[in-house]
Amino acid sequence: MCMAVPSRIVAIDGGTATVEAFGETRTTSLMLLDEPVAVGDYLILGAGGNFAAEKVAPEAAAEALAYLSEVLASGQA
Amino acid sequence: MPPLDTGIAVTLNVSAGAVASVQIRSTRLTQASRLLAGRTADQVATILPTVYALCGTAQGLAAAAAIEAAAGVVPSPAQRMARRFLLQLETVGEHALGILRDWPELLDEPPELAAAKPLRPMLAAAKRGLYPDGDWAKAGGGRLAINPGTLIELMRQVEDVAARIFAGSPETWLREPVLFHAWVRRGETIAARLLRRILDGGLAGFGRSPVPLMPEAGPPDLTWRLAGDRDGSYVTRPDTAGMPLETGSLARQADVPLIAELLVEHGHGLIARFAARLVEIAEALRELEELVLDLSDDAGAPGAIAGSGIGFGLIDAARGLLVHRVELEEGVVRRYQILAPTEWNFHPDGPLRRGLVGVAAGPDLAWRARLLAAALDPCVACSVEVVEYA
Repeated sequence: MCMAVPSRIVAIDGGTATVEAFGETRTTSLMLLDEPVAVGDYLILGAGGNFAAEKVAPEAAAEALAYLSEVLASGQA
Repeated sequence: MPPLDTGIAVTLNVSAGAVASVQIRSTRLTQASRLLAGRTADQVATILPTVYALCGTAQGLAAAAAIEAAAGVVPSPAQRMARRFLLQLETVGEHALGILRDWPELLDEPPELAAAKPLRPMLAAAKRGLYPDGDWAKAGGGRLAINPGTLIELMRQVEDVAARIFAGSPETWLREPVLFHAWVRRGETIAARLLRRILDGGLAGFGRSPVPLMPEAGPPDLTWRLAGDRDGSYVTRPDTAGMPLETGSLARQADVPLIAELLVEHGHGLIARFAARLVEIAEALRELEELVLDLSDDAGAPGAIAGSGIGFGLIDAARGLLVHRVELEEGVVRRYQILAPTEWNFHPDGPLRRGLVGVAAGPDLAWRARLLAAALDPCVACSVEVVEYA
């Protein structure tokens, strides 16, 4: 299903952010976000990852990342 | 660790001027829900909407429905109405996002970002405006306290979205197919222009498939197939009696006069699928306008779910039928399964493959295949590659 991996912003350059999740980085557009974001915030990327879909609260991001780590470690992917 | 960037890769093998075979590879995590075993109903309500954030409302509501069914809890009419409101708002938002963000690319145009931007915040605002404590996905029901100001503003935004897509009232086409054709001929919105390009290019029936449409109540063998699916092969590649099904807007709107007419004329192809998506937005908007008048406060369910049993949650998510199945023991999950719409529509032998095998090759083949993929609306990125054989 449409798993959404919370990705942490490591750099921002204008309307584009570099984000990191599970050791992999990629760039994503911030043009669809309705609130300001900063380095260290967590984002959910839209399908395909070209556009960030929303900012996630750090607690929710931590919980989702912990769950996804378990999923990956269990080999259920 | 396997990569987490999940998606669908479609390869078209071309030989003698036509598509000889189609491979659809999915790297989607179809069995991630297994890890919900051992968690409580309240934990499931927190984890699922974040982990599946892109269709998080449908996922959260399917979880609530499955857990309630397992525990023998019946949500109040006020809860059911508020949930339906959120679900239909997500459907409008997801369809509109596809149209404004993704359809322009099919016409070599930049995405309409300014119009797409309010869509996801709209849904978040609706959840806050109905469930101020954020417990909208709580099994049994969260605390409903309607904020009328938020809802009035929300309905105004919804109207703006409709104007951006339709530039007029779509209500009339639902009754008069001839008016739909007039809109496609003259409309200037991205939706009207994409449909015009399809008709003018002779592609109305492109991607036609013989795959049956999903019945309203779900696959007839769903109950025992899910129960017996110990290795996860069913939720990864579902079928019914050996045959895949097509789920989504077309299956749900096939009886609307306009769609029925397009199906007779062009089969289960591009124009019927795209038009069904537009009809679904129009129907959802109409329902939202009715529902908003009937929403009411509700105290919600006290405490946590403690029951035992097996329950199903079937939800009409934007992209099609979403099924959750839970085995619950004194409020704790023993087994959790999710069957998502993309597994039907992008099944290796499903409507995408059936719609592409045998079609004529040509310079625009990859574009036509991308159109068909967009019409079937995957919930992850979908790449298309054309390979020529001598």
